[in-house]
Amino acid sequence: MAALSLAASASEALVLGLTTGPVCMASCGPVVLPWMLVQPKGMWSHSRQLFLFLAARLAGYMVFAAAAWLVGAAIPREWSGRSWAYGGIDLLLALALLVYAAGWPRSRRASSEPSLSLVEIGAAPRPRPSGALALGFLTGINLCPPFLVAGVRAAQLAHLSGALFFFLCFFAGTAIWFLPFLSLGFLKRTPAVVTVARMVAVLLACWYGFSGVSLLIERTLHG
Amino acid sequence: MASRASALERPAFRSIGRSLLLTLPIALWSLLMFTPTFRNGSRALSIGAVAVILFMTGLFFLMMRTGETYRWRRIFFVALGFLFPIGFIASLIAERGTMSIPISRMVSGDTPYCFMVTPALILPAAFARTIVFPGSILPTASNPHSIAVMIGLWFAFTLVLGKAWCSYACFFGGIEEGFAAFSKRRRLHRFVTRYGSILRLIPWAILLCVVLLSAALFEPVYCMWLCPFKTVTEFPAVRNVETALQFGVFVTLFVGLVVVLPLLTKKRTQCGFFCPFGAFQSLFNKINLFDIRFDREKCVDCTLCQTSCPTVALSKESIHEGKTLLNCMKCGACVDACKKDAAVWHLKGTPVAVKPERARLLFLYGAWALATMFGGSILANSVATMVHWLPLK
Repeated sequence: MAALSLAASASEALVLGLTTGPVCMASCGPVVLPWMLVQPKGMWSHSRQLFLFLAARLAGYMVFAAAAWLVGAAIPREWSGRSWAYGGIDLLLALALLVYAAGWPRSRRASSEPSLSLVEIGAAPRPRPSGALALGFLTGINLCPPFLVAGVRAAQLAHLSGALFFFLCFFAGTAIWFLPFLSLGFLKRTPAVVTVARMVAVLLACWYGFSGVSLLIERTLHG
Repeated sequence: MASRASALERPAFRSIGRSLLLTLPIALWSLLMFTPTFRNGSRALSIGAVAVILFMTGLFFLMMRTGETYRWRRIFFVALGFLFPIGFIASLIAERGTMSIPISRMVSGDTPYCFMVTPALILPAAFARTIVFPGSILPTASNPHSIAVMIGLWFAFTLVLGKAWCSYACFFGGIEEGFAAFSKRRRLHRFVTRYGSILRLIPWAILLCVVLLSAALFEPVYCMWLCPFKTVTEFPAVRNVETALQFGVFVTLFVGLVVVLPLLTKKRTQCGFFCPFGAFQSLFNKINLFDIRFDREKCVDCTLCQTSCPTVALSKESIHEGKTLLNCMKCGACVDACKKDAAVWHLKGTPVAVKPERARLLFLYGAWALATMFGGSILANSVATMVHWLPLK
């Protein structure tokens, strides 16, 4: 009976993850894509970075699942601190993107070409696991709509282990949608590509920063 | 671009008879385009159509007669840029009484489609089967400029002409080209030349951001936050802090990128250093039929072509390789500026600098047909609006 219940929970979470996966991908895409674009060309480095990103994202999921189960379904729906959480996570994402955008060019020189500024700014980075981990974890706890749906469902389960298992299966369903990002490994890495990725990270940091600040201001003004 | 003096000194490129003969297809095309207007349109619109036929045919004749492209194309393009808002805003005021878009119009999908949003539609359409633009997919009585019609037109011409769309059809680019033409001195030239390699990457970054955020938020982020041309077309009604902020961004970008910087640099700064649609359009330069090439045997590395390029689509390295960069808009400025005839029009798959005038003619027929069809109808509408304003009985 328990096995049947477990299987039902797993299939429900997996299907939920598969069906809402495109939304997850779209939601995390702005963070994943610039990060992957600065990785050296090749499937191995991209697989490694994506694996680290997804592992950290899974950790974020688990933290949220535990919190959702402990506090109950009220977290996503009526929790008064939701705007603070949204705003805070957005600001942290902005900060992480800025930090890694600033760090990318200093890591390693991409080529020995003497073309000055473009090579300096667009140098390929040394793969840094901390970047994928930080960005993965922050996107993992980012409250996107499919995530909230899964959170509500997990909170209704009887045991904490059940909630964690539900999120694990939900994660597996959504993670499949991230595999297309591996195709970026085939893209030729020129200094221009890395520079564009860095610019994208800065622009997205501005967007997340603006989003976070406006949420916090709104929360402060309107309660 | 050739100066007026040098153009006048230059002997006629073709005889009048031959130029007229070459202009005949464009004259017939223009007549064909405006035949429905003569049949069904108002008197003012018919006057507009006649004016546009004469204008477009006349400019094409001058292109044939003088052998210059950029100078005559610019007259059309600047006219399009400055007249488009007149007709468009007048129609908005007549219909709604305001330039702002009411929410009800967005909900009912009556917003006229703007091609600038095209790249942002791709991901949401592919993954969620959702069009993130408040317009109708198929034409309706109230909104003939539907998404399907506009994308179909754009795609057909883009396949043939590539990024030439940005120099012959975009009704926004003419505004900044006009401001760039006003200025006599070329300021910030050293800055633009030195940092051109970085500046021309910005549109790609904005394109990626816009595409990713539009997919994440399910809204046309460029239209909502970044389009400078909302200032001279339509924009969400200012009702709260957010919409006030959006309007502030639109005006700031317009004044900065479309007015001030083109006046200072004599470049199309919005097109060259900002427009994400332009970056998207550059991709089609890889597969279209025409490009500009450089005959290395004639080239003396004077960099006149590089200086004349309005969008920084040339670098010393690219000229050395005998081609333009990916963001070339095929405006013809470099070809006209080159005194050694080293910069030439080229039909892909044919030898470089062998019968370049034939490549130019083939390109111009396509580009001018597009200009007449797309820009011509806009111009006719704007002229008709002005005819309405005239105190004539």
